[in-house]
Amino acid sequence: MARKSAYVVSAGFTKVAEHWDSSILDLAVEAGTKALRAVPKISPQQVFVGNMFSSAGANQEHIGALVVSALGLEGVPAFKVESACSSGASAFNIAYSMVSSGAIDSALVLGVEKMRDLEPEAVSQALSMAESAEYTQFVGATFAALNGLLARHYMERMDVSRDELSALPVIDHANAVAADHAQFRRAITPEVVARSGMVADPLRLFDCAPVGDGAAAVVLTSESGASNAKKAKMARVLGGKVSTARFNMYEREDMLDFTATRAAFREAMRQAGLPPQKVSFVELHDAFSVMGALSLEAMGFSKKGMGSKDAKAGKYGLRSDLPVNTFGGLKARGHPVGATGVYQVAEAYLQLTDQAGGNQVAEAEYGVTHSVGGVDTTSAVHVFGRAE
Amino acid sequence: MHVMKSNQAAAFRGYGAYVPYYRLPTTEIARIWKGGGSGPNTEKAVASMDEDTVTMAIEASRYAMKMAGADSLGAVFVGTESKPYAVKPTSTIVAQALGQHHTLAADLEFACKAGTEAIQVITGLVGSGMIQTGLAIGMDTAQGRPGDDLEYTAASGGAAFVIGKNDEKAIAKIDCSTSFVSDTGDFWRRSHERYPRHLSRFTGEPAYFFHIEKSVRTLFEETGHKPSDFHYAVFHQPNPRFPVEVAARLGFTMDQIRVGLLNPMIGNTYAGSSPIGLAAVFDEAKPGDKILLASFGSGAGSDAFCIEVLDGIERTRGVNPTVRSMLDHGSKIDYSTYSKYRGKFH
Amino acid sequence: MAIQYWRIRDRYYRLVGSRCSKCKAEFFPPVYRCRKCGSAEVKDAEMPKTGRILTYTVLHEPMAGFEAQAPFPLALVRLENGATVLTQIVDSPEESIQTGAKVRATIRRVRVDGDSGQIIYGYKFVVVG
Repeated sequence: MARKSAYVVSAGFTKVAEHWDSSILDLAVEAGTKALRAVPKISPQQVFVGNMFSSAGANQEHIGALVVSALGLEGVPAFKVESACSSGASAFNIAYSMVSSGAIDSALVLGVEKMRDLEPEAVSQALSMAESAEYTQFVGATFAALNGLLARHYMERMDVSRDELSALPVIDHANAVAADHAQFRRAITPEVVARSGMVADPLRLFDCAPVGDGAAAVVLTSESGASNAKKAKMARVLGGKVSTARFNMYEREDMLDFTATRAAFREAMRQAGLPPQKVSFVELHDAFSVMGALSLEAMGFSKKGMGSKDAKAGKYGLRSDLPVNTFGGLKARGHPVGATGVYQVAEAYLQLTDQAGGNQVAEAEYGVTHSVGGVDTTSAVHVFGRAE
Repeated sequence: MHVMKSNQAAAFRGYGAYVPYYRLPTTEIARIWKGGGSGPNTEKAVASMDEDTVTMAIEASRYAMKMAGADSLGAVFVGTESKPYAVKPTSTIVAQALGQHHTLAADLEFACKAGTEAIQVITGLVGSGMIQTGLAIGMDTAQGRPGDDLEYTAASGGAAFVIGKNDEKAIAKIDCSTSFVSDTGDFWRRSHERYPRHLSRFTGEPAYFFHIEKSVRTLFEETGHKPSDFHYAVFHQPNPRFPVEVAARLGFTMDQIRVGLLNPMIGNTYAGSSPIGLAAVFDEAKPGDKILLASFGSGAGSDAFCIEVLDGIERTRGVNPTVRSMLDHGSKIDYSTYSKYRGKFH
Repeated sequence: MAIQYWRIRDRYYRLVGSRCSKCKAEFFPPVYRCRKCGSAEVKDAEMPKTGRILTYTVLHEPMAGFEAQAPFPLALVRLENGATVLTQIVDSPEESIQTGAKVRATIRRVRVDGDSGQIIYGYKFVVVG
């Protein structure tokens, strides 16, 4: 299918934080309004809302229609898109598919999550719905527990040390220091990670993305739609693919092989016509340090077993050859789950329009966003480039 | 004639015990409540937070079914005073776990005697030809009121027995049994109360000794048996002393009761008490040995049995873990851990 | 949610998974299509009750309903027939819970709906030897 061009022409997002004073709708409207206000001549033809658990977190379903009405866009079709923690990216992917196929000229993609109104055990419960109700949730395995199993398996099989595993969280925190919208902006050391409270042995607090609220929105247009955003800065979408893997992580041939990420990355890069060496930065889904490492391996940026080791050796820092999580990633910018995929698109947009301030990757040409639901059960990868 | 003998003989064809992993030394209880010392027993077996009469009954039953090679049960009876549900039968959950549906399932309550009652009822069903094979279980997670003397001994555990045809595969024949009851309240629990209550000195002569001596002497009189006919005697064991005392009164020696006397190590498993003593005896008994089994419950009754071990017992060795191995495989906990575990079930 | 668990109680009580009628591969949890050969001819089959720990973790931050047990061990157990089960490990000293340790299935209270709701029973595993 011959794809038409698609452009991200604006981005708007809230800070990621425990927003005690904002409801799920407040957050969505804040982000959506910011994104729309930057391109006043564009009226989105469809709205996609990425969100994982509006029902558990806010007793709310039908949030596509809810958001559309609050934004004064009644009449515009709107859908909630859910694929666990990759909901935002999946929402973006559907919008991209519709714009690049010519079905529509413009879309508003919004990701929002309200997690903090729930007590910790209830947040755990809600997140665990990404996994089997009858065989995973049932035995009391939280999503963190699954990653704890994965982390021990990784460390034992690939001889990865505690310090090596800590490298990605350290990079995340370093990058968030200059990021205004990040939830945690304090640099840390590997000792801080190793001494933090145990969550699911061997994963500690600083191996795990925090709980936070937030919303991010981008406006996506076709070439003709972009003509209505003449003054706006733009980034081009070069490719995008969502792939899935066997649902239960432990039923796979090799748990350390993130096949969904591998397949999504390969196809998105093929659409973009881009060799991996040309990638300038990666917004990586490191909900847990081990997931980040294995995702880098699946995308081929590190050899098998080397994801954390390469991070420790300095391969993925902001001033390295391949910066990862330029605004702090899931660990430090934060992870309001359904919204994260759209935060990543917004961050890639900032990089490729030279609006990244203190986090700017020098001469950024091409960026990859990577968002995952479950333990690489759904993987959504998009490739972006400059508009000129 | 008060002794019950079935028209066709019924026999044990399999047995299995269950003792939970955790042990509370009675010195721990005494440390908290008495400032030192210990209880009459050394340790008691404590069910974990995620165990109850259902889970333990299923474990013991699986052992018994495996030994018996049974695949179909006509009846499943669970005798217990610690049913997880006041209304919803424990026996149906056990039956489901064993894949049994065309079965008569019921729960029996008679404090510490309910397990042996289950044996009597199943014996009747088998002996009358109404069913081929049945499962009788005595199991409890006994509740001891904190600080009460019974807390030393109230323990968790029990045993399950597959009872069926008396053929060459049978382990031990159920020769006969008798039951003696009265309205005597030495131990009781009102419906919505969490812990039972009991009297003190009254639990001895008018309760334990009176009823056990009645049922056993009735059995002796009507069958012509005397103590020396039996290789083993197993009595209900609320503490280490009472069974030794009643054995002596009835003319039994320490050697006869030693193997089945488990209270010092695991406490009183209530409806599981004499049943698990019987299982311990089965682990060692030889063909031809006779066993006298006498239970007691709630002040108010005692069942006495004459059991004869058969050749089939030899093929049971090594099939399942022995009671002794379960006693040895234990982990000591302290009073606070025990309180946490005990707080979680009712 | 008692009904959601009731309908699969045999899977919980007896570890009933699937066996492919074509290639004989066995799976737990049950599957709709064979994961080896893709056949839709799969039937219920009871899994063996022994296996080895493939990997494990100790969960310190439980979800709602499991607070009293925390911290507690969870493991992936590879059963003798090759099926892998995600389960809690109970009654086992810390040092015994290792990758490669031999385990056997037992039945326990897995979830309890407060003081008045139903008790859901299911499989947990114990380290043996």
